[in-house]
Amino acid sequence: MEDLFTSAVLVGIFWATLRIATPLLLAALGELVCESSGILNLSLEGTMTMGAFAGFYVANETGSILAGLVAAGIGGAFLSLIMALMTVTAKVNQVVAGLALNILGLGLAFFWYRSIYEAEGSIDIPTVETMQAPFEFFPIPWLTILAFVMVPVVWVFLYRTKYGLELRSVGHNPEACDMRGVGIISRQYVAVVFGGVMAGLAGSFLSLGSTGLFFPDIISGRGWIALAIVIFGNWRATWVLVGSLLFGFLEATQLALQASDVDLPYQLLLALPFVLTIVALVFNRSRSNVPLSLTIPYHRGER
Amino acid sequence: MTDQAPSETQAPEGGGRRDPLSMLFQSGAWRIERRLIVRPWHEVIALIAALVAAVAIIAGLVLFIGKSPADSFAALYNGAFGTRASTLETLVQATPLILTGLAAAIAFRAGVWNIGGEGQFFAGVMGTWFVYDLWGGLPAPLLFLLMFIFAAIAGAAWASVASGLLVRYGTNEILTTVMLNFVILYILSYLLAGPWQSPDTFYYQTVRMADTTYLPRFFTGSRLHWGFAIALLAALVVYWLIRRTTLGYEIRGIGSNVVASRYKGIRVGTVTLATMAISGALAGIAGAGELLGLHHRVQLDIAEGIGFTGIIIALVARLHPLGVIVAAILFGALVNGSTAMQYETGIPKALVFVIEGTTLALVLIAAMVTRYRIRKAG
Repeated sequence: MEDLFTSAVLVGIFWATLRIATPLLLAALGELVCESSGILNLSLEGTMTMGAFAGFYVANETGSILAGLVAAGIGGAFLSLIMALMTVTAKVNQVVAGLALNILGLGLAFFWYRSIYEAEGSIDIPTVETMQAPFEFFPIPWLTILAFVMVPVVWVFLYRTKYGLELRSVGHNPEACDMRGVGIISRQYVAVVFGGVMAGLAGSFLSLGSTGLFFPDIISGRGWIALAIVIFGNWRATWVLVGSLLFGFLEATQLALQASDVDLPYQLLLALPFVLTIVALVFNRSRSNVPLSLTIPYHRGER
Repeated sequence: MTDQAPSETQAPEGGGRRDPLSMLFQSGAWRIERRLIVRPWHEVIALIAALVAAVAIIAGLVLFIGKSPADSFAALYNGAFGTRASTLETLVQATPLILTGLAAAIAFRAGVWNIGGEGQFFAGVMGTWFVYDLWGGLPAPLLFLLMFIFAAIAGAAWASVASGLLVRYGTNEILTTVMLNFVILYILSYLLAGPWQSPDTFYYQTVRMADTTYLPRFFTGSRLHWGFAIALLAALVVYWLIRRTTLGYEIRGIGSNVVASRYKGIRVGTVTLATMAISGALAGIAGAGELLGLHHRVQLDIAEGIGFTGIIIALVARLHPLGVIVAAILFGALVNGSTAMQYETGIPKALVFVIEGTTLALVLIAAMVTRYRIRKAG
């Protein structure tokens, strides 16, 4: 147990925390903006898988990580645009629409992946170059830095800009917004698509940022954990940051435990983040900041 | 998490500045308004349109990767219904889907979003194995009974973790059921790597169960087992439960309006717990059926997304228990046919997920669109 607390291990855990928190933070910040407009997008898992695959595919074809990131954003935007069409325009139940798009996102990514890389029994699956750290003393890729920069950006956007204020108003009271002439549909579209782009980037971090690989269950529950972080964080950007770091830290510690010779079954350590998500949701029950119209479709002229 | 039931009355349209996107849908000359009456033929036309659109999109996708849609659909169909054997195999695939579809349908009827069918399926598998491991020597009828009862109890118990937290603490059941799916998978993988692992292999699996625990099969040469009859029976029971019993009435009550139900004296918490227990039990029975009917040994890939597909089936069937049978057979046909399709045309089986997602999305949109009409603003 002692070797777990040597400084080298602790420093390792620190950087690992930031890296592991990155996809959670990106996806959760996007979902925060999306939910602030009153739309619950449950399809993060599928959207992140789309992003992870689109990023991997384009980076592999072009050799450019930047092109991969753009593709990941577009992949996420594509799926979330369908989400917006279903929930904002067709007013389909948001939970149901999210579940449908989860399957669609996972399915599209699996399907493309298998038809491109595993056709006719070939098992020659490429790996791409992963993102480099910009500074030598700062061993984290720049997408991680972007994720942390997005925290104040999202906060300022939601709380200090007119558009952000209107967007949150739409999430709380769409009738009043409609009466005041604040366009509901466009704001919800913008918020949902922003969430999708962020989820796509979050997914691409897993394929381009850490492994250089794509495999079908690459997201393995992180989309759902990001959704939990938004609830845990009581729909506040700062607490979403705290939640992401907390999960990153737990996961990093878990990995360090696996690497050390502590005699614990590793499966139980792998289950830990999911158990802790449930525990966190049970113990943090403040809902003071929840968008009041979350999941309730707005019909003009109907009460 | 229930959808607000909007009233059917029409109020004058609110004024205000229009943004560009809403202009598209609510421009001056035309407007979208809610239909007062949705006729059955509206729904039928919309459903057909949705399915045609789904087929078109899938065909486009197949074309895009350079294969022939006609050949692929033919391979899919022949794989699912081409021969007597393949038709029976479709029913084999449909068997667990009926049960997990019912599990999702009954929970969704109550407005409880049980996404944990997959985990409760695993709980059922584990409950079955637990009984076999402990009392494997019991006479067959008693052993079967105990295995199914324990599978149901295990599934119900795993679902009740989520519903207990929901009722007691208001914890979002969508997230807890999803998390519990992962948790039980890791618990099972721990058990299969250690205590339950077959001694003669390094694979994560148990020993093969004794022949006496195999569910009897209907026909020689086909894997169709008694689990199918159990699934059909379960559908009838759930139908009766929802339509004809007090609990079913209360389930529909809290599903459509929690507040009104509470005023009416329905104990929402109790009904939620009961619904989730039934839902989990159904998924657990699906697990027992698969283990005893097909696999005969516990493995990590025993579920293969059966719990998740059940959710899609329930939604496509509009949460109707008998509709679940039809939808499950259709989706069973997809699963079964896609294997033949992959073999014959090289198109990955994963296309099934795309078909599922596209179909559900389009059916949902169609169902909503039928409630509206476009009219020239007078």
